[in-house]
Amino acid sequence: MLVSQALILYRSDPSRDSLSIAMFYIIICAVLLVATVCIRVYCILPKPIVPERPKKSAENRTLAVFLGSGGHTSEMLALVSSLDFDRYFPRIYIISGDDTLSERKAAALEATKAASSHSTSKNSDAYTFLVIPRARKVHQSLLTTPFTALLSVIESFYHVALASSHQKGQFADVLVLNGPGTCLTLCLAVYLNKFFGLASPKMVYIESFARVQTLSLSGKLLRFLVDRFVVQWPQLLQDGKRGEYHGWLI
Amino acid sequence: MLAFITVGSTRFDGLIKSVFSPSVLASLSNKGYTNIVVQCGNSDFPYVHLLAHGEESFQLEKDGVTIECWKFKPSLQTNCERADLVISHAGSGTIVDVLRMDKPLIVVPNPTLADNHQQELATALEKLGHLRSSTTSQLANTIQEFDASSLTKFPPFDGSRFRKLLDEEMGFF
Repeated sequence: MLVSQALILYRSDPSRDSLSIAMFYIIICAVLLVATVCIRVYCILPKPIVPERPKKSAENRTLAVFLGSGGHTSEMLALVSSLDFDRYFPRIYIISGDDTLSERKAAALEATKAASSHSTSKNSDAYTFLVIPRARKVHQSLLTTPFTALLSVIESFYHVALASSHQKGQFADVLVLNGPGTCLTLCLAVYLNKFFGLASPKMVYIESFARVQTLSLSGKLLRFLVDRFVVQWPQLLQDGKRGEYHGWLI
Repeated sequence: MLAFITVGSTRFDGLIKSVFSPSVLASLSNKGYTNIVVQCGNSDFPYVHLLAHGEESFQLEKDGVTIECWKFKPSLQTNCERADLVISHAGSGTIVDVLRMDKPLIVVPNPTLADNHQQELATALEKLGHLRSSTTSQLANTIQEFDASSLTKFPPFDGSRFRKLLDEEMGFF
């Protein structure tokens, strides 16, 4: 409305003064817009208060984990193996690109858990794979990287925001990440989700056991964006910034 | 006794060249490791031509040591289990796998990798006494001075820590 008033003013009296006034209104609009975006972003960032727990303890939680290939996959599957599958189902294993090895390792873990399970419920066997295109392939030119990264974010957002295949009507209750690359696009997708006020998973980041003195790039970028940021060596928290240490998790 | 050398899924020229050098073979033989198995990956070293035409592996005797060498296997579990000593690149996955098998381990961080991040873990675990860390040039000395009985046992996997963390976050009490 302010913009249209500014335009009306300018059309009726195209003098230098009215141009200034028009510019002034436009600038106010821009500032209000930026302020709204900033306030909204602040509202959705994690804060150091105990979050509300609306779910009853007996209900299951949907678990999504990102398998980043290689050592990341091995560590993540070790973490997942420690969970009670009667509490966390369905489970979604997110694979990037053509990482069939991670898919096989996850399937092997599921088979092992199913074999040793005493549960009579078939629900707790439920798991699926979700493939997200890589943000950047190894040796990929940095010129094309912004485009593939954007594609990765869009597809991640599509799955996170529009997933309706789960009974709760949201992608997952929790998303566990441990790096690398594509987990950033997943995090961005969750934030886009939150920005539009849609139900979003909690995000838990577990820094790799291999990181002793310095955080990984993914760790540095996600540290202030996730709900829980966990390291496996206490030296990483010497800077006094956000994070938790509970000993070795693997 | 048997020593198993592994470079993981890529290559580590420096380590393999060092392993085949007279000084390292002499140290191994002196300490009683007269049989060695080398998983060389895609590393380049003086005997790599013996694997150039699709040969799966080669065997040779050198400086008092019987050497078997091949590039890759789907799983290194059996080789690690049979070994009395493992000498490895300092990849965290390999380190944890070998230490959980309670095998004596010497690691050599690969300095050519991005920001030498393997060094951090190797140094930290050596300080805790779980393994010995070395370099390609120091390997012969490290083997000579190696005392497996002085190593501290690596703690077993404790899944309860992550389980409690996630259960708490998800509201399971």
